[in-house]
Amino acid sequence: MYEAFAVAIVVFLTVGGQELLGFSMLGRPIVIGPLVGLLLGDVKTGLMIGASLETIFMGIVNIGGASAAEPGLASALAVAFAIMMHGGLGVALPLAIPLGIIGLQIKTLIYVAVVGPFASKFDSMAEKGNQKGIVRLHFGLWALQWFLYSLIPFFAMLFGSEATQRVLKMILTIIVHGLTVAGNVLPAVGMAMLMKILWDKNISAFYFLGFLIVAYLKMPLIAVAVMGAIIAILVAQRDYQLHGLVEKVSARPATTNTNTTETKDEQENDDFFS
Amino acid sequence: MSKLSKDMSKDEKKLMRQMYWRSFTLYSAVTPAKQGASGFEYSMLPFINKFYKKKQDKKEAMVRQMSYFNTNLAMAPFVMGVTASMEKQNSESDDFNAESINAIKTSLMGPLAGIGDSIFWGVLRVIAAGIAISLAKNGNIAAPIIFLLLFNIPVQLVRWYGGQLGYTLGSNYIGELYEKGLINILTKAASIVGLMMVGAMTSNMVKFDLKWNMVVGGKTILKSQQMLNQIFIGILPLAITLLCFWLLKKKNVSINWLILGTIVISILLALVGVV
Repeated sequence: MYEAFAVAIVVFLTVGGQELLGFSMLGRPIVIGPLVGLLLGDVKTGLMIGASLETIFMGIVNIGGASAAEPGLASALAVAFAIMMHGGLGVALPLAIPLGIIGLQIKTLIYVAVVGPFASKFDSMAEKGNQKGIVRLHFGLWALQWFLYSLIPFFAMLFGSEATQRVLKMILTIIVHGLTVAGNVLPAVGMAMLMKILWDKNISAFYFLGFLIVAYLKMPLIAVAVMGAIIAILVAQRDYQLHGLVEKVSARPATTNTNTTETKDEQENDDFFS
Repeated sequence: MSKLSKDMSKDEKKLMRQMYWRSFTLYSAVTPAKQGASGFEYSMLPFINKFYKKKQDKKEAMVRQMSYFNTNLAMAPFVMGVTASMEKQNSESDDFNAESINAIKTSLMGPLAGIGDSIFWGVLRVIAAGIAISLAKNGNIAAPIIFLLLFNIPVQLVRWYGGQLGYTLGSNYIGELYEKGLINILTKAASIVGLMMVGAMTSNMVKFDLKWNMVVGGKTILKSQQMLNQIFIGILPLAITLLCFWLLKKKNVSINWLILGTIVISILLALVGVV
């Protein structure tokens, strides 16, 4: 019982806590491993397994709300089971990978089904100017979702590693595979959201340029950002010169031309957005 | 760096502190549809209450700041600072175009998310974790603490000074740019960087490989993924992303359905053995 509480609280405070204390990396395996080890009386094992899991989960980051696995839950449970069964990485590793994938699916489920519907509630509160309500909901949803999430490690610990493994086996490997595929495709939705904001037909070619130079030239993202900045500066310089020209022209009497082209542009934009 | 806050009034300094602390909770109630909208609103509330006197203006600002927001957490205070300075200008002048606040906000968050994610997730975290892992393998108990310090000290500096920099830059330049009619040029330039980063991230992050091969008489005569790669590397991830974009923009499909649909279709395709 103590172990179940300890692991659940660690998950709540680290995986949940890092959402409240934004971007602090509390929920990484290298932090959770020794922390669970400390509470279960074997810091050394926790540290070792935490470090190994950190190496494995190193590539898994959470960008744009999409990811491949949730390393926090996986690390907490894998380390706890390994300590209680006096096993090492051999016990932890086969558990950690599927747990990470399942954990992410449950996290996504809570994110979509529990918190998701409140997006419109926030909007209506803003319209009414209900500041207290917004603040209360902002923190209430945090507590609710991470409480729900922490129930998983609690019951997994309560029923033990064998039962957890049996449940994991029951979830067909093909479903797990499908969820992994989904995890790899889901960033597309996040990208589409960003494109919806940034897309403009005059500059849409740059989206494909960015795609191309990573797909074929394998350029790192930071180099793409610098390259994008260079192009943006060049374009802005040209636009600035054009702007200067337009101002000079419009200073003269014949201004009607520039006005009509502007409205045409606006109309086209309206058509595109509708 | 203390120069940044030199020109700020005592009230403004207090507001900046509130913004710094409140922005920690940006993604506390993150939703698929609007991401960190509630956290952004929470961070903006002190400014809104300070700048706007009329109740109606306050409500309008609150609706405005509850729009979709998603960026790298270390970069968020900078965007908040710029946005706050624009809200201030909006409250002081009658003819300020309030819509440009959200335009600048969204054009900043794209590139900053890209830059922030590569610097902090890609570089800083990997360095911090690498050092911590080697310490931990040698049995050093301080490894997790060193990991957290190595990562968080630079991040907190960027968060603290980024907010002040955004507010100062916004106060000094945005108004001037706006008056000269140059804000469209800035928006366009920012959007170019943003779109290029989104294209790069599409290639980097969206993964979809076909496993299906045409087999005739025990011989594999066509490997579908290999064939697709010969046409164009990453053609499927690109097509999927563009499809999502089209569904979002033209068909007004809600983000919840898109996420659910992606999961269900992925499982179905895995069942059939295509992927």
